[in-house]
Amino acid sequence: MEYIVEKIGMSRTVSVPSVPVTLLKVVETKVCEVNENGSALVSYSFGKKSNKPIEGQQKKYNLSSEFNRFTTLSKVNNSEAGDLDLSPLESATTVQSSFDTKGRGFAGVMKRHGFAGGPGAHGSRFHRRTGSIGNAEFPGRVQPGQKMPGQYGNTRNSVKNEIVSFDKEQGIIVLKGSVSGANGKIGRLKVVK
Amino acid sequence: MKNKYIAHFEKQQIAEKEIPQFRAGDTIRMSINIKEGEKVRAQNFEGVCIAIRGEGVSRTFTVRKIGANGVGVERIFPIYSESIVEIKVLRRGRVRRSKLYYLRNLKGKAARIKELRKDNK
Repeated sequence: MEYIVEKIGMSRTVSVPSVPVTLLKVVETKVCEVNENGSALVSYSFGKKSNKPIEGQQKKYNLSSEFNRFTTLSKVNNSEAGDLDLSPLESATTVQSSFDTKGRGFAGVMKRHGFAGGPGAHGSRFHRRTGSIGNAEFPGRVQPGQKMPGQYGNTRNSVKNEIVSFDKEQGIIVLKGSVSGANGKIGRLKVVK
Repeated sequence: MKNKYIAHFEKQQIAEKEIPQFRAGDTIRMSINIKEGEKVRAQNFEGVCIAIRGEGVSRTFTVRKIGANGVGVERIFPIYSESIVEIKVLRRGRVRRSKLYYLRNLKGKAARIKELRKDNK
């Protein structure tokens, strides 16, 4: 079963030993169409974006104007259109959550690959640089996969977490451990067990 | 300000806990559950609370006592930790700040704290 979730933030428990937890909120989702293989076209609300194609889809599926985003979930518990069924979450113990990691832009090798860098002072002239990437004689070229500066972050990352608790009224899932991405980001959640 | 869902989650955990009111400068005694292999036993710790910091479930306090040979011992506890069985306030102190880190540099008589008298309140 797949769900659309928003990352709320992190907290901890008071138990001994204390467990770091991440709170996720299940975004209110309407199922528009269920396909034969169990996947479904769904709609949820994020931001205020609206245009004629969106309005047309809302009219087609009888949705109110907040539901302005459309996407496909790989598996749902519903057999027909309506509110997304959350009941599989109540019995779930492990979930896989996928979020976009925080984007760090064009990053150097120290931040991106954890290179050690050079001394800060004493006239070293080698601070945060990459260093040599291929020798003159042998191999005389840059090896494929050489770690270099570039875009870091803003990629999809998935982690498996245990469920600590699930509050059906508020739609809050509490996971053990952390998930990628900034607070307030929208991601996907799959029930593993 | 904390997110309302996080605040709700933390409130749920704290709701049943009863913690006596105390502040920096107060002398407190508490019993802490200590796990030794399979057995769990309670151990007492007594000293002056020199700081309370944090909010929600991560609120902690620091207790300082002078141990054997005049060695200062400080322990930091989460206020709502399940391993704290009981907190008893033995004496209210009259202090003028919320963090008493200056006590670390004082010894003997200078490190005493006056008792808060009710009539100066």
